[in-house]
Amino acid sequence: MNRDRAMVRNIGISAHIDAGKTTLTERILFYTQRIHAIHDVKGKDGIGATMDFMELERERGITITSAATYCEWKGYEINIIDTPGHVDFTIEVERALRVLDGAVLVLCSVGGVQSQSITVDRQMSRYKVPCIAFINKCDRSGANPFRVIKQLREKLNHNAVAMQIPVGLESDFQGVVDLVSMKAIYFDGPSGEQTRLEEIPQGLRAEAEASRERLIDAASMFSDELMEAALDDRVTTDVLVEAIRKGTLVRGLTPVFIGSAYKNKGVQPLLDAVAQYLPQPMDIENYAIDLENEGVEKRLETDPSKPLVALTFKLEEGRYGQLTYIRVYQGTLSKGDTIVNSRTGQKVRVGRVVHIHADQMEEIGSVPAGYIGALFGVDCASGDTFTAPGIRYSMTSMHIPEPVISLAICPKDNKAHVKMSKALSRFTKEDPTFRAYVNHETGDTIISGMGELHLEIYVERMRREYDADVTTGIPQVAYRETVTRHAEFNYTHKKQTGGAGQFGRVAGYIEPVEDEFVFENKIVGGAIPTEFISSCEKGFKKSMEKGQLLGFPVTGVKIVINDGQSHPVDSSDMAFQAASRRAFSEGYKKAKPVILEPIMKVAVETPTEFQGAVMGLLNQRRGMILGTQDEGNISVIEAEVPLAEMFGYSTTLRSGTQGKAQFTMEFSTYRQVPKNIADELIKKAVEEKKRAA
Amino acid sequence: MSGNNLIFKNPLEFIKENAGHLPEDGQFGAILARAGEGKTSFMMHLALDNLLRGENVLHICLGQPIKKVCLWYEEILQGISDQYESNNTNLMWEMILPHRFIMTFSIDDFSVKRLEERLGDLTEQGIFFPQIALVDGLSFDKIDQAALIKLKALAKEHGFPIWFTVRIHREDNLGQQGDIPFPISPISDLFEVIVQLRPAGHEINVQLIKGQRLDKVL
Repeated sequence: MNRDRAMVRNIGISAHIDAGKTTLTERILFYTQRIHAIHDVKGKDGIGATMDFMELERERGITITSAATYCEWKGYEINIIDTPGHVDFTIEVERALRVLDGAVLVLCSVGGVQSQSITVDRQMSRYKVPCIAFINKCDRSGANPFRVIKQLREKLNHNAVAMQIPVGLESDFQGVVDLVSMKAIYFDGPSGEQTRLEEIPQGLRAEAEASRERLIDAASMFSDELMEAALDDRVTTDVLVEAIRKGTLVRGLTPVFIGSAYKNKGVQPLLDAVAQYLPQPMDIENYAIDLENEGVEKRLETDPSKPLVALTFKLEEGRYGQLTYIRVYQGTLSKGDTIVNSRTGQKVRVGRVVHIHADQMEEIGSVPAGYIGALFGVDCASGDTFTAPGIRYSMTSMHIPEPVISLAICPKDNKAHVKMSKALSRFTKEDPTFRAYVNHETGDTIISGMGELHLEIYVERMRREYDADVTTGIPQVAYRETVTRHAEFNYTHKKQTGGAGQFGRVAGYIEPVEDEFVFENKIVGGAIPTEFISSCEKGFKKSMEKGQLLGFPVTGVKIVINDGQSHPVDSSDMAFQAASRRAFSEGYKKAKPVILEPIMKVAVETPTEFQGAVMGLLNQRRGMILGTQDEGNISVIEAEVPLAEMFGYSTTLRSGTQGKAQFTMEFSTYRQVPKNIADELIKKAVEEKKRAA
Repeated sequence: MSGNNLIFKNPLEFIKENAGHLPEDGQFGAILARAGEGKTSFMMHLALDNLLRGENVLHICLGQPIKKVCLWYEEILQGISDQYESNNTNLMWEMILPHRFIMTFSIDDFSVKRLEERLGDLTEQGIFFPQIALVDGLSFDKIDQAALIKLKALAKEHGFPIWFTVRIHREDNLGQQGDIPFPISPISDLFEVIVQLRPAGHEINVQLIKGQRLDKVL
């Protein structure tokens, strides 16, 4: 392990699905001699890419969990997290961006900036991750890296600047011209492992000069030295590189590289760029919340001698027990140390500390600040912070979206039940967007997550990895209920059945509000004694868990209590909770409750000739088309569609567009269900209740 | 504050009342200004004014992604409701959303033929029937008169007027106040209403240079 932190790069590789990031990672590992043979995603050799190490990923040709690995390039230690491209696994991308210092945004030279690239970019900007771009697949027919650079500027507002221009394109793609060194780079050998520097081909000279001018112009905004050098026409490589680096670190500049990972072209210069332009751990300011000091933010120092602060960002159940991926921000994590989980307060003794390379590992004694490693046998959840004893810091919490879809799962037998429980316990620890609970009314085990594919993959993993034979029900949409108007309540709870009685009167009103729940106490003169106000709040909150229309949680409600009554003997916490529950029920019915449904933002990319058909399909699914984006041969249709209507959409889309369109979707908002559909849902819920009874 | 109140308080309402003649189906209106002087912003107000009346607005934007156009709408609507202390922006947003359709094209790919195809996709399937169209970012240096005539016919056929933003340059604007500047001057016959925006300190003067004369300070 390299102990010079200036030589460390913690990077993520993010992109739209199928932009080729796993292939790119594979080539990086090959050129850095971490692997000795290249296996392609969906390759003919049936081995699959090294980073797609889960059997399921290999089969489907997609990366589901982000595997961490490290490699060395010209003395630099590069820790890479390969992140999934499908929007259902966004939490993985977010986690990766949280712990990494820089990222490579991979774009397809044909598809350009696609919808998922926009999502990923938004995430990068949320975590202020500096990035460089790699325009892949320049060997493909229709490749146009210049169009992609333009899209980076127009669609993502990046100050994207070409660092290279291609030598040939599509089937004639031979290499690249590096605009810093002004040399043409070719990639020889059976796997492109030998780079050959040549003079720039005559026909590209003028274009290269002009592109270099543009690069210098853009970079000089970040360096006075470069600006002066440019005016005197004496720009040196060092000055230019330094200026580009400065611009990249403040996210003011996005250097763009080009190549074709599949054809083994352009990967080595990209590795050089990772080392030259992406930040070292000390370049990034990281903060933690001091839990002992009213949540004050503390800046962490990338200093191995300071007290330890580390964040777990991924858990995996492997052959040797639970493996916890961890990023150390401050101090050093060493074998034999005692560390504290600041969420639970639990003390943990550090066992084995390893470096992970996909599903292989190397034992190391310690992980110093700025590095990524993994621990064995530590019981924790993903996102937990570990510190040295004596301090209680928590790394800023990660943005975790609420699940929007659920599914009932049922084990075939008792044996399967035990295995399923084990699997669920692990998956819920690994992935905070995946939840599992038991519906006490039906006895069903319910799993919920971010989309159909998300749940499908977990069910499949349950079967394969845990041999848990489970059957699944129909996916259920996570509806919500809310009120639409002001209504008053006044309820007296009175019970006298021998012994101490129960008495409590609660009066006030209920009305819609933008927040989830607001409780206001306007009681004057002690109509309800102060000690029972919190009982009232508890009672109302409890009622919100289950609405009266469908039994889904109630949201967007303001409760104001302004009157009540108590009894010196019979009033109690329980009595006021009960009174509040009934009062809520009374007010809720009068406040015109409605059902809300999750609305998904859907983006469909399709060849232009199918634009009409795709719009028709979305329209049939109660979709509201926000707009269409015409980009020559490709169109993007953006729409908001109720999640309930999106089941089976991928099949319909495939058949409606000869398999040429693809779509992504993510949760957008909750919106009221149209009356006729709400009536249907209520009817169904009543029938189900009857059946259950 | 309700959408109706916002319409009432919208400064565009005064212009409409006073101008008397606004583009009708198949007619053109133009909003002229130099770069950065508020053409798009003016157009967004025009769009929101129509949307709040429940009219279907087709917003055609060249060279910008849908997301960016959506963001403009959100910002302008938020600005208007903040100004008038309206607290139900979300409700208004949901009200106007079904009446808005954004169509974006890359600058090089836009043509009347392509727009005709896209409009056909919308209307034949009953997805959206525009009542007014707004075109932002069209380069009048590049589009020829014949194409504009075709566009006029298309607007007439589908039954909506079209408003354009037109970028003018400092050097094109040297004539008398009220003269129609380049690049609109050679094709001004095609436009029924032309409005020019002129900055004056912190305000923007809206000058009607074709149509009924009206000077109004926004």
